[in-house]
Amino acid sequence: MNTIVECENVSKRYGVGELSEQVLAGVSLTFRRSETCVLLGPSGSGKTTLLSILGCMLSPTTGALHIAGQQVEFMRAATLSELRRRYIGFVFQHAQLLPFLTVEENLRIVGRNAGLSDAAVMERMERLLTRLSVDQLRRKSPAQLSGGQRQRVAIARALLHRPPVLLADEPTAALDWHTGAGVAELLVEQAKAEQAVLVVVTHDTRLVSHFDRVLRIDGGRVWEEV
Amino acid sequence: MRSHSEILARSKCQVVKKVGTSSSYKRIIRTAAAFLALDQITPVAAKILLHNKVRFSLTLTGIAIAFFLAAAQFGLLVGWINTNTAIIRHAGVDVWVMAPQTPAFDYGTAIPRNRLYQVRSMPGVAWAEGLFMAWNIWQRGDGRRVNVELVGLDESSQGGPWRMREGSVDVVHLPHTVIVDELYMQALGVRRVGDSFAMIGQQAIVGGISSGIRTFTASPFIFTSIKSAIRYDKRYLEDEITYVMARCVPGFTPEYVRDTIRARVPQVEVLTTVQFATRTVQYWMLETGLGLTVVITAMLGLGVGVMIISQTLFAITQDHLPNYATLLALGFSHRRLAMIVLMQSLALGGCGIAGGSVLFIAACYATAKTPIPLETTPLVFTSLIFVSLLSSGLASFVSVRSLFNLDPVSVFHV
Repeated sequence: MNTIVECENVSKRYGVGELSEQVLAGVSLTFRRSETCVLLGPSGSGKTTLLSILGCMLSPTTGALHIAGQQVEFMRAATLSELRRRYIGFVFQHAQLLPFLTVEENLRIVGRNAGLSDAAVMERMERLLTRLSVDQLRRKSPAQLSGGQRQRVAIARALLHRPPVLLADEPTAALDWHTGAGVAELLVEQAKAEQAVLVVVTHDTRLVSHFDRVLRIDGGRVWEEV
Repeated sequence: MRSHSEILARSKCQVVKKVGTSSSYKRIIRTAAAFLALDQITPVAAKILLHNKVRFSLTLTGIAIAFFLAAAQFGLLVGWINTNTAIIRHAGVDVWVMAPQTPAFDYGTAIPRNRLYQVRSMPGVAWAEGLFMAWNIWQRGDGRRVNVELVGLDESSQGGPWRMREGSVDVVHLPHTVIVDELYMQALGVRRVGDSFAMIGQQAIVGGISSGIRTFTASPFIFTSIKSAIRYDKRYLEDEITYVMARCVPGFTPEYVRDTIRARVPQVEVLTTVQFATRTVQYWMLETGLGLTVVITAMLGLGVGVMIISQTLFAITQDHLPNYATLLALGFSHRRLAMIVLMQSLALGGCGIAGGSVLFIAACYATAKTPIPLETTPLVFTSLIFVSLLSSGLASFVSVRSLFNLDPVSVFHV
């Protein structure tokens, strides 16, 4: 099955009555295995809202979402946790590594939470940290890492349990251009290596050349640039 | 006779059984740990707690002191209960006969000595003797007066001190001779055996020193013979005593003997040892309000502990909300996050209880040789630990609630 994520006529409205605000209006998207997409749009255009819905964190007002052929039941928090645990890897703007754990521990708890055995976690961690050139940092705490190193570790964490969907929210915003471009390149490379769908939200139009598809969002509508 | 190989096979079988039982326990523990996902939540819970070591230490100190406060209050209560029933429990008798409506051992009033003879003639009574108990005034060498509880012993000295530091209990049967306790020697102005004092103008020679026979009322026990006691207390007539103590013939229950005496001996109240001890405890602890005060203070101690845990956990949880949001986004369930906080709460409570217990044990040793000892029983202490741990768990309620209200989307707003 090549279609991993299918978003059907998804709308999102915050609030009720006259003060309500339509953020997404009838968004329909399909993402196939190994596809890498960049989602561009001005602030407040609904990028993060769309990413939250794709990440099974926010329920749409109308519409449906299918992940790996399974319709997402947004009403049950436990089901959403399970979906995030099994199918989705996140890379956040500030990496959001847990500051009180070492690099290795940050990865291990995510792997164990996803149901991987200790041996499998160790094997995956070894491979990913080496591939991302941060294997020397495994005993360090996040505070001891540079911004770029933190994002590399965050990418390793996101990929550890082999999720079919990798979502990244402004992963380069807190980095300088050179480091940011390197992180974007790594993201694409790793997503391809893992055959995962990659959706990256960013403001930075200079990164578009790294991705297969470019999506633009504005006024709640999404369109694809060819 | 079984052969060597038979015995060997049998013992091997037992070893296998034991190993089997222990491995099934291990399997149960492993299954439970896996179900609770302890390997995932333990490092997170521990690291969050220890992230700010100063706060952790201060919290533990607070909880330990709060637990110590509660344990000390209950320790006082147990110590007092032990003290105010000590003579009743150590007398080694089954039934007590006394004047009607005697509220406690310390407040007995006179009954005729012939009640003793009546009791001795009852079916089921193996042995009976009298005991004298009245308040008196001890005059020290320097002229100062001290209120004392005068206990007069009958022929076999039953009801007397059960630990002696110097001399024997039977010295009380010598004329004008008394036994004082080592804990009150200073209060009574006694320096050594042989010192002479006065009680209501009558000479009292210290013939022995008991060890750790405390009084609940702060007025020291002075042990002497019934004969001497009546001489010291002019309110009693020659043929009066305060209590009749009786032991049952084997095969007769204290309840049976009590009921028999009740039915046949007039104008007395008859209680079993347990009933008399309970009545004495009830008088001192409930009717004087002392017990309630102690229990309220103990509860306050527990309450303070719960508040410390609750407040600290809430502060820690609020500090780490962005991290919890990250964990939620990464697929941790709300239930698992709640387990982290619950585990922290129990860990704080457990460590605080351990610290408080060390303080309490030290205090028990330090007060063992004082008039107000801290004591406990396995039941009281285990119950206190259980209630404290339960309270620690409940203290996590507010923090857990805040986690259940946490939205994973907040991870994007950091």
